[in-house]
Formats: sequence, C-alpha cells, structure tokens
Amino acid sequence: MSGVGGLPRRIIKETQRLMAEPVPGISAVPDENNARYFHVVVAGPEGSPFEGGVFKLELFLPEEYPMSAPKVRFLTKIYHPNVDKLGRICLDILKDKWSPALQIRTVLLSIQALLSAPNPDDPLQNDVAELWKVNEAEALRNAREWTRLYAMGN
Amino acid sequence: MQAFGFFRNKVPVGLHVNVRTNTGVNIQAVLDPNWSVNEVKEKIAPKLGFPASEVKIIFAGKELDDSFKLSDCDLGQQSILHAVKVVRVSSGNQATGIPLPTALAHSLPVMDSNQQGEQGRQIPHFYVYCSSCKKMCVGKLRVRCAHCKEGAIIVSRDPCSWEDVLTPLQIPGTCEVEGCGGDSVEFFFKCAEHVPSVDSLDALPLNLVKSNTRDVPCMACFDVQDLVLVFPCSSAHVTCLDCFRTYCQSLLQERQFTYDPVHGYSVPCPAKCDNSLIRDTHHFKLLSAELYARYQRFGAEEFVIASGGTFCPQPNCGMGLMPHPDCRRITCEHGCGFVFCRDCRQGYHIGECERTDGSECSSNTDDRQAYRVDPERAAAARWDEASAISIRVLTKPCPKCRTPTERDGGCMHMTCTWPQCGYHWCWVCQNEWTRDCMASHWFA
Repeated sequence: MSGVGGLPRRIIKETQRLMAEPVPGISAVPDENNARYFHVVVAGPEGSPFEGGVFKLELFLPEEYPMSAPKVRFLTKIYHPNVDKLGRICLDILKDKWSPALQIRTVLLSIQALLSAPNPDDPLQNDVAELWKVNEAEALRNAREWTRLYAMGN
Repeated sequence: MQAFGFFRNKVPVGLHVNVRTNTGVNIQAVLDPNWSVNEVKEKIAPKLGFPASEVKIIFAGKELDDSFKLSDCDLGQQSILHAVKVVRVSSGNQATGIPLPTALAHSLPVMDSNQQGEQGRQIPHFYVYCSSCKKMCVGKLRVRCAHCKEGAIIVSRDPCSWEDVLTPLQIPGTCEVEGCGGDSVEFFFKCAEHVPSVDSLDALPLNLVKSNTRDVPCMACFDVQDLVLVFPCSSAHVTCLDCFRTYCQSLLQERQFTYDPVHGYSVPCPAKCDNSLIRDTHHFKLLSAELYARYQRFGAEEFVIASGGTFCPQPNCGMGLMPHPDCRRITCEHGCGFVFCRDCRQGYHIGECERTDGSECSSNTDDRQAYRVDPERAAAARWDEASAISIRVLTKPCPKCRTPTERDGGCMHMTCTWPQCGYHWCWVCQNEWTRDCMASHWFA
C-alpha cells in the first residue's frame, strides 16, 4: 500500500488528480514539507452571502487516512452557523459518517455545498445559528459583512 | 496470483490418485492426465475385479462421462476417485459428465474464474482459510454424502448459488456406498496448496474473496489488486485484502464492530451501505492472529452484554457473568469472587450508589460491607487501581450504558462510542442532549 517515502499510493493518486483536474472554485495544494498537509482555498459560492470571498482552510490527512476522516478547519474567519470561532466545521462526513470511499475531493465539495446551504438546525456556532433562524436577513447581512472584512482583498 | 494460475492449470505428468470403491477397497493408481475416463476404467478395472464396462467413476458429485478427459477435471495429486460397480442402468435423472467444480464456473454467479488459464481455459477458483497452512489458500470444492460422509455420491442437480453450497442438505443426491442409502449431499472445501494427507481437515470457504477479474479498483487505496473482498451490499463494493485488514483493524481498535444477534460480531461495507454486514465471520481469519484473538474476545464480550450479562469490574479479572436480571448484588463466581453492585460496579453496598465522577472518586471502597479483600491481591493490584482511579477521574459514564467516556476537546455534545448504544448525551448535565444544553452550555 505504501509508495515512496511511506506515503500511501492513495494519497499520491488523490494529490495528482487534485492537481490535474482541480474542482471548480477549490484549490488544494500539499505543503512542500508535509505531503499530508494541504493548503486549501475555497471560493465563496455564487448566490451565497460568501460570494466574492476567498476562504483559506487547512486539511490534514491523519496516519489512519483513509480509514479515518481528514481533519479540516477554516483559517479565514467566517460567519456561518456550522463553523465555530476556531474554524472547526460541523459536517457529518468529517465525523461519524466518514467512509474510506470518500476522498479529499468529496470533502471539499461538501464544504463548498455547506457554504451554499448553511444548516442552522445542526449548528456549531449557537448565536450565529439562532440569528440565522430568528432573523435570516440580518444573519445574511452579517455573513456578507464578515466576507468583505476577512475574505476579500488578499 | 501468477503462481496460483500456474499451479492450477498445469496438470502434472503422472497423476497419483487414490481410487476407492463402494465396498471399502482402496487402491493407489498413477494416471496419465491425457487419458479419457474410459481409459482410466480399462486401467483400474482389473485391480477391482470387474469388467471396465461395469465401472462408473464418481468425482466431486458427478459420474464422469467416458469421453471426458482427466486433464479437464479439477483433479490434483492425491485426489480421491470413487469407482463403483454399476448396479442398474443409469436412471437418467442423475447428472453425469462434467465434474462439479468445472461445471460451477458457469452456474455459480458469485463465483469467479481465473481469467486466462495457461491453455485459455476458465478454471474456477475458490478461496478458503486453511487451518493447516494458517493462511488464505486456493480451495477445492468437494462433495460427500451427508449421511456416511463418503465421496461416492452423485448429485441430482448442480448448486446454483453460494446458498446451495453453504446450506446443509440443500441438494439431493444418491449415495453409491453399499448399505448407506443417503439421499442428500454436503459440500465442503479442501485446501489446494498442500498435498493432503488423505481426508485432512476441511478448509473454511471465504466466499467474499474473489479474483479481481473485472479490474475493480479498491475503494480505499484505489489500486487494482489481484484479489479483492466483495462486500455483500447491493452495490457489491470492493476493497483489496490489505485495505480490508486495515479497515477491520481500525474499527477493532475503536471497538466499532457491530454486534448482530443473527450474524455475530461483524463489519458493514466501508461505504456504510444498508444490510451489508459480513455474514460469514470466518473472513476475519484474514486478520493477524493477534487481531483475530482480540476480535474473538470483543465478540464474546458483546454477546455476554447482549444476553443480559455483565463483567467482573476487578482489574485482571473481567469474568463474564450472567446474574439474575433482578439482582443488584453480583458475585464473581468461577472468577475472583469479588462481590459488587450491578449499578455502580463498585464493591457491593446497601443503599444508594455514590456518584463516582471526578473529585469524589478518592473515597475508598475498603470500608464497604460485603467487600472481601484478599490483602495480597490488593497489594499486587495497586498499579491497576491507580489506572482505575485515573479512568474515574478523567471520564464520565454514558448515562445510558455507563461506558466510561473521555472528552478530549470539542463541544459538550457527546455521542456514546459504544456502537450498540450511540446515546446522545450532555457532558455537563450527564443526561440526554437537548436544545436547552445547546442554548446554555454548548461550549462552556
């Protein structure tokens, strides 16, 4: 199962494919010193309050990958009911719904989808979630404001 | 795999076989693989003492047709042929001709065949766990009478699924052994990789392991391997055997196998498909001996729990106990003799259980009545006691099943790690997780 330098062939293959056929709106580049650590950039989806924003994330493939899920975290501040202050993401496939049949690619697509469709019923950031339910207009305004403040301009 | 293919397809020059008759005579014969069955009869008939025209030869559940060539049978060194004197003219409804393993290549839909044999032939491959070789081997399917266990039996129809093969008494047959009268067959497997001492132990069929003739990539490592395990889900998802082992190992380490009252302690398809539990747990023999031993221990423990039992909480004991359901006072019978309370798992006491979370844990149980302490044992067990105390300090029990649970970060929403429980609870309230918990102390 292991390729050169102890890096499993699966990770090499996934990396190659991410480079050769990137997912639209997402870039994932392995760190030059650690092939298990990826620098990820996700563009805020069109029609969402995150549109126009560029969100940085980090993704790490633990030793047990693909038997256990990648660890993913937002580095850019984001106003989202399923992302907490530390950037941790509430997404079932990163926890108990993880399966080795999933990939880095599918994880990133799911995160992109989560930006398009926030789920305030399964929140990680309670005040954000509460506002999203009580006053969606204001929540969307906040999200747009945070996007402008933290996710634009570099 | 190349080695297997070579081994299976090349018929050795001189085939040493045992010929058995229905009267108990056993003779050794060296046969030429290019002979037809008719030639074999001519060769062995004199030794049997009756004319070749009155001999019928049975192999793997079929009477072999005269014109059939030996090299086309799944015949290996030291195989057993059954020579039977014809009593009546063939009644017509009995299957003759191609021996079963060869015929099955076309009729068993879930079975695979070697892609390109040396002579371009399709030869079926079964995989078995051989307890003599202590590993997975290529296997041979064989047939015997369910009654007298002899191989001189003719099947009345071919099995057409694994169910036919694995379910006893599913297929009728006619036993040719004098005085037996058996009328149903049983299938069994032999390891094809060691020359059998006659009638060596049966090998365990691994029906989910197949040659990867369709070049399906493993769902975990994406490589196309020669051998794969096909999960029993509707999509028939595939992993290579290495990834199957890693998958099982990671689940076993987290104790995430599923206990199913019908199929036992098992795992589903890694893609979490419905109804995909591996039903034949012999497949876990593919794990290392150490992991398999752990698998067996965990499985036995889950069975005890599912049957209403419990375990002695004493360090180094852990005896499985089946106390009366209404009884709170449990004695570790046949074990260390410890007497404990079913609810709090501490030494037995009268009255309410003391809460054992966090700071209060240091209160000792020594002064409890009915708590018999063997001083020597207690002295020897201090290290374990220390670890038991740290478990008590660092963990809280799941409010439903009492599995000690450590919280190493994240929010207060806990999901019980024991798959058979899965209870959602609140670390703060030590009760069911509610929206109120979310509102007041989700992170704090």
